[in-house]
Amino acid sequence: MADQHRADVLVSCLHGRAPEFIPALREEIERRGLAEEVKVVETGCRGFCSMGPVLTIAPPGTFYTGVTAADIPEIVEETLVKGRVVQKLLYKEPSGRKAVQRYDEISAFAKQQRIVLRNCGMIEPTSIEEYIAVGGYEALGKALTTMTPDAVIAEIKKSGLRGRGGAGFATGRKWEQTRQAHGDVKHVIANGDEGDPGAFMDRALMEGDPHSVIEGMIIGGFAVGASQGYIYVRDEYPLAVKNLGIAIARAKEFGLLGHDILGADFDFEIKIVRGAGAFVCGESSALMQSIEGKVGEPRAKHLHATERGLWDRPSCLNNVETWANVPHIINQGAEWFASIGTERSKGTKAFCLVGKVRNPGLIEVPMGISLKTIVNEIGGGPPRGRKIKAVQTGGPSGGCIPAEMLDIPVDYETLSEAGSMMGSGGMIVMDDRTCMVDISRYFLEFLKDESCGKCSTCREGVKRMLEILTNICDGTAKESDLPMLEALAKTVASSSLCGLGKSAPNPVLSTLRYFHKEYEQHIHDKYCASGVCRSLVAYVITEEKCKGCGLCVKACPQDGISGSLKQPHEIDQVKCIHCGACFDACKLDAVQIVPRAMVVDGKVQVPVITNEGPKRPGGPLDVPVRNVTTPGGNGGNGHGAPKGAKR
Amino acid sequence: MTKTTLTIDGQLIQADDSMTILEVCRKNNIPIPTLCYHPVLEPYGACRLCTVEVKQKGRNWSSLQTSCTHPAWDGLDVQTNSPEVREARKMVMGLMLSRTPNVPVIQELAAEYGVTEPPFHVEDPNEKCILCGLCVRVCNDMVQAHVLNFSGRGADRKVGPPFMEKTRQCLGCGACTIVCPTGAIDIVLEEAGVYAAKPLGPTSAIYVPSLQAVPRVPVIDTDSCIRFRQYDRSLGQITDACGACQQLCEAHAIDFTQKDEIVELNVGAIVVATGFQMWDSSKLSQYSYGKSPNIITGLEFERLSNAGGPTLGQILLADGRKPETVAIIHCVGSRDKNPNAHEYCSRICCMYSLKHAHLVRDKTHAQVYEFYMDMRAFGKGYEEFYERVQEEGVVMVRGRGAEVQVLPSGKLRVTGEDANLGKLVAVDVDMVVLSSAIEAPADASKVSALFGLSRTADGWFAESHPKLKPVETNTDGVFLAGCAQGPKDVPDTVGHAGAAAAAVLGLLNRGEVTISPATAEVNRTRCVGCGDCLLVCPYTAIARVDGKAQINAALCKGCGTCVATCPSGAIEAWHFTDEQIIAQIEGVLEWA
Repeated sequence: MADQHRADVLVSCLHGRAPEFIPALREEIERRGLAEEVKVVETGCRGFCSMGPVLTIAPPGTFYTGVTAADIPEIVEETLVKGRVVQKLLYKEPSGRKAVQRYDEISAFAKQQRIVLRNCGMIEPTSIEEYIAVGGYEALGKALTTMTPDAVIAEIKKSGLRGRGGAGFATGRKWEQTRQAHGDVKHVIANGDEGDPGAFMDRALMEGDPHSVIEGMIIGGFAVGASQGYIYVRDEYPLAVKNLGIAIARAKEFGLLGHDILGADFDFEIKIVRGAGAFVCGESSALMQSIEGKVGEPRAKHLHATERGLWDRPSCLNNVETWANVPHIINQGAEWFASIGTERSKGTKAFCLVGKVRNPGLIEVPMGISLKTIVNEIGGGPPRGRKIKAVQTGGPSGGCIPAEMLDIPVDYETLSEAGSMMGSGGMIVMDDRTCMVDISRYFLEFLKDESCGKCSTCREGVKRMLEILTNICDGTAKESDLPMLEALAKTVASSSLCGLGKSAPNPVLSTLRYFHKEYEQHIHDKYCASGVCRSLVAYVITEEKCKGCGLCVKACPQDGISGSLKQPHEIDQVKCIHCGACFDACKLDAVQIVPRAMVVDGKVQVPVITNEGPKRPGGPLDVPVRNVTTPGGNGGNGHGAPKGAKR
Repeated sequence: MTKTTLTIDGQLIQADDSMTILEVCRKNNIPIPTLCYHPVLEPYGACRLCTVEVKQKGRNWSSLQTSCTHPAWDGLDVQTNSPEVREARKMVMGLMLSRTPNVPVIQELAAEYGVTEPPFHVEDPNEKCILCGLCVRVCNDMVQAHVLNFSGRGADRKVGPPFMEKTRQCLGCGACTIVCPTGAIDIVLEEAGVYAAKPLGPTSAIYVPSLQAVPRVPVIDTDSCIRFRQYDRSLGQITDACGACQQLCEAHAIDFTQKDEIVELNVGAIVVATGFQMWDSSKLSQYSYGKSPNIITGLEFERLSNAGGPTLGQILLADGRKPETVAIIHCVGSRDKNPNAHEYCSRICCMYSLKHAHLVRDKTHAQVYEFYMDMRAFGKGYEEFYERVQEEGVVMVRGRGAEVQVLPSGKLRVTGEDANLGKLVAVDVDMVVLSSAIEAPADASKVSALFGLSRTADGWFAESHPKLKPVETNTDGVFLAGCAQGPKDVPDTVGHAGAAAAAVLGLLNRGEVTISPATAEVNRTRCVGCGDCLLVCPYTAIARVDGKAQINAALCKGCGTCVATCPSGAIEAWHFTDEQIIAQIEGVLEWA
């Protein structure tokens, strides 16, 4: 049906607050008599997560952020009817607050290269017609009608595409192994389990452009000689399941799935299998067990899945994002793909940039771009007044790259050499208010919950590592804890059965490598300089700096700060729950984070003089402290808690 | 399956790629510790203890792998005891010991790697399960009862039946208790309640009947064997469950498809020597048989005392202690007018009770109380033995043991009347031996139907004449030997059996047999083949031959039953034909 509407209103953030105004939007368009001219499209993710809901009016590509139901009449009136721009809804650049009208003029967008995500937010995900209209299924046609399976494999090999699930295995080689394996019945599988906390690239892809994954899988099936494909989607993504289901059905109607596809004497079917809430089912052998209906437990992988995988048949398992790259490589050629990225890591990668940046969201960048560019130019840098401390990549299997190393290019090898890994694409930015010990504790807690429990080293080892880290964060650590933690990490990494266990110690090992001092402070000084580990801190107001503005009083949930206007205030150490709200509220750097040991009988034993410079926790232990009475006689240098101090 | 050569601890070893590194090591006596491995089950790789250091062919870096799962590929370089391996095993044992600190096998293994104290916080000091999965694998893959499985994820993982509830699917086969390395699983017999005793009989479905068995090879009891019990109704055949014995037998001597062989022999004489069975002592509930593992029958005591038995001849209580007091009760189920007991005297029990009393005194020096009614010491040297046993200090209580009570402490209280003292006595003992009745075997009625035997009122097979023909039966050619005819002890049985053998020899050596001429004969023209006569003949002398009845004159006793039964009047009794009888009647009437 050819409808000649003049503009699309592409609405994103369907999991956010967009559903609150979409009905109103449609009604208003109807009411203004524009229903024939303007089409509302519920579309995929555009990536500006802190500015949602976003919508784009295309043409010309006017991009509005933070849209609410109240804005709808104005949008329809000004932009759709009169063709004018609603200034207050435009995207503002983080530096300089300059307003940008069109999506592709946004600087954060300019640094990206959206290949896999190019249709997300641009087309209606379930519309196969729109997918075809923007070039979809051309690659399938090219592969099936002009190439042999071996030629397709050769092209993928030449492109240098590597698995986007995290391990980065050469995709072409995996396809070749599957093709060469013995067996009449083979399978291709898409891993859409995406269990890493903070990762949602595959989600956006499956929800926003399901046909790209399907097309990639059909081409893959053709190449390796498989006629049955499976997409394993985590059950927590119902919209992905729904959209993939619709896409599969439409593809079948168009003869792109099923029998004798495009007359090439090739049969292919795809089934969706839903996960049941286990992170470990993202591990390839556990995933295959899950598809078979068994408990998702990994097995020893001496025999690769490409030889004996699903139901003991040769199976080619790739991440959803890997599959989505395939049509582009076939269409534009291996050389084009290989021209993007670095020597060893070709193409682009989708990341979920989250945490302490002004512009968090879903991005796609060429390999080789530096972390610094990603964080500062795409992410907009840290919020005002904060400094970046580290960037965590690779989810629970990855590690932290400290701020000093942010110049490194993003590439499979450089990230592993730095003690982290590419992972599936989670990228968490941390500032000086993040405790690195707490971060490794957080990831271990996640892994302890998600460990399948089969092998003793992961099941018991991760549990014991978590115990030690919890003790460290609670202030009950012993001297022997750090060596024991390292010994445990070594055995868990070397002796566990699957990737979950083998990589479980990575967060601990990488934070120990770059932030050893924080661990030492936690264990020896019982002090958490970032204020996160509540048992290890106390908050103190420095008289000299406090101007008595009262912001902290308002922030304190315990009503624990007293003082008259314009007079220095005081924190009641008995009422204080160490939440840090006062620290965050104070604009004058007057609140200090000190070791808990300094509070004795409800009083701060050591009066402290603050340091100069911008607000920086790590406070009194880094600078000389005057007028100190330390019973232990540490004189002059405030290092360590006073001896004999009660906790 | 290709042949491979790999290096293990510097030695070049031949193997093939269908084996795992662990199997190769076991074959070559290279020690590798394991917990979750069993040769008959699929390897699982859960405990990580069998970790070895492996360098793949052509690479110069090594990794730690579990030897139970890693195939013995060509060109591998394996170190089974390098510092890396020991370090990993030490940590694994440290983790295990912290989970199950009081399991001896875990303590021993941990000590081998220098771990003597749990290095981490112990949550449950009574925990025994190490989640090795052996019980799960044996129950699902081998026994195929599908009762046990893992539930819960990660640190919450546990093993048990669905929802940790008792299930009737459990066969009580005990396979899980056998494979469990830490003794975390117990078998509890529900009806008995207190059973934890060593069984006196065979402990597995495949067993050697006794040390004196000829031939001395194992047999499979198909009633308890899991493979035969797991009969697949849908397929109408036994399943392939278990089969552990077949997998382990190096001589490949086990064949589950063996069928009973039916052999047909034509013989001139049959000796029925089908013996006796023990009367079920639980039929009289006052003796509490079955309520305590320390109340046993005389036969069970024989097994206990046998040097080839479960305790190698030691007299022990169920929990392994030596008894300090034992009571032996005579006439349990014999000389008893109760409907579920026997009125007759079982003959052998007085003497074997004295023997048991003597054995107990000799082996344990326990105090023995014998509750008897009469002491039937009728044979050669028997009375003298009775005297000797009394001199050994056995306390003889003349009065039937009336009741055995199981006390809460586990001791047994025997009450009875001491007729010599004229009062009721009670004594608390550790063990009670019931000298229970012996009776004809349960299938005696089938045997008697088969051979045309009658039975006396007491259930034993009937001899031809109680005084003069103890081994013959009313069916010619069928003889009785031993207890089949009635309770008797070994000397009497030997005598009886010798008589039966002599009778057989006499019969067979005769060549010609003289029989009474008064037999019956069938007129084949008149016989319609109805078969009524076959049913009524007490001597099974009639057979169907070519559709008509035919009488075996050697077996026929001339009783005349068939003559009277035949509806066609086709059978005549020689010397008792209708004409002869009528002539006799006429003759008598002439006189009247």
